[in-house]
Amino acid sequence: MARRALIVGTGVADRIAAGLSGWEIERAPGAETLDLVVWADYPTAACTPRRLTNLGLAEWNEACDRPLRAVIDLAREVHEPLAANRGTFVVLVPLMASAGGAEYTALASLGEGIRLLAKSLAKTWGADGITAHSVTLDPHAFLAAQDAAGIAADNALHDPPLGRVPDDTDDIAPIIAWLASGTAAPLVGSSLVVDGGLWMPG
Amino acid sequence: MTGLLADKVAIVTGAGQGIGEGIARALADAGAAVVIAARRAENGEPAAAELRERGYEASFVRCDVTLETDVMAAIEHTIDAHGRLDVVVHNAVSPPGPPGPVQAVDPDVITAQIATSTTASYLFARVAHPHLAANRGTLILLTSPAGMEGSGNLPVYATVKGAQRGLLKSLAREWGPDGIRVNAIAPVAWTPAMTTATQANPTLQARLEARTPLGRIGDPEIDIGPVAVFLASDMARHMTGQTMAVDGGRYLGL
Repeated sequence: MARRALIVGTGVADRIAAGLSGWEIERAPGAETLDLVVWADYPTAACTPRRLTNLGLAEWNEACDRPLRAVIDLAREVHEPLAANRGTFVVLVPLMASAGGAEYTALASLGEGIRLLAKSLAKTWGADGITAHSVTLDPHAFLAAQDAAGIAADNALHDPPLGRVPDDTDDIAPIIAWLASGTAAPLVGSSLVVDGGLWMPG
Repeated sequence: MTGLLADKVAIVTGAGQGIGEGIARALADAGAAVVIAARRAENGEPAAAELRERGYEASFVRCDVTLETDVMAAIEHTIDAHGRLDVVVHNAVSPPGPPGPVQAVDPDVITAQIATSTTASYLFARVAHPHLAANRGTLILLTSPAGMEGSGNLPVYATVKGAQRGLLKSLAREWGPDGIRVNAIAPVAWTPAMTTATQANPTLQARLEARTPLGRIGDPEIDIGPVAVFLASDMARHMTGQTMAVDGGRYLGL
């Protein structure tokens, strides 16, 4: 019987879903049992470069506060389906959340918020058999190519050792599948940076 | 630290009590004129009056930090009453509610937590920017160790405090060319909420202190305030995008 994953979002979320071969993929909550939830539903407003001073309150709400609330509400909704299958909750986070990115204040605020949400969930959901993680990705996963290149250049201390940006479908999806496997069970509340060695924090 | 902030003007949110009040007192001791921004006049007025009794320049402005009109009015008051704005300290936070997993959190608590932390941080940053840019000023956000290590019992609080750190790092990059520094303090100190928690749980204080290398919970004015003074002063002129954990060494693994 195929394992069931809920993948929330478009863009990088679609590419991750494409890489989860053999999984039954749901695109909206409602299933009674889930083995994996992946959230990457970043709104266009958050992924478009804008100085904070040029963002009106409604734009800030759309880019940060509304999706932040949506992830929290999703976590509340999927707790029981994940507990039923001792599943895994994963949020995908742009590099700027941890490293900063000029003109992406809303995106970074949202991303770092949900990274801390995943760590917090891991602390209490472990008793229910649920693990939670964040996976930090290269800006290319979230932004238009020309915008991502500028952010990567701002944050990188060196050239990416792999010489290429990880592919969401071929490189990232298998890592998420591994996080949801029994092999990764001792890994709890991790913040993985999977960017081909662009940043190397810590 | 007397005179470190001479001729500077600061506004501190949530300054009617707790850490905000302690920071306001420390900033005033260092020479800054201070605006006490608080939602409730019964807290804010006395806090400002006490500073004036100490001989400092201070005023109170009523401010619900989640309302754009109130934030704009608070900044306008600062300029009208004191002539300039150099330092913004956003400390106000709404009560995190009773401890529990995310699925047990009151939806209204979630709404309030997001509004006071992320929305209000954005509002104060945006509205204060012209003044901070004119004076090469500084923005200080009060986050929490929970915003770095997460919190099982206060997951929404940890989320919004983490969100503030994402904001400050990006804003530090964005505003560096404007000469504005953006930093955060993650304190563990006595606040009304901490007092309530320790009164409700008699073993909590001893357990916290046992797990803190310096062996005690911080004092808002004596322990946290001077760090805000440092960040607001030219002593920290080459420091931006940072979070200073001021917690007696409680969280060493960050």
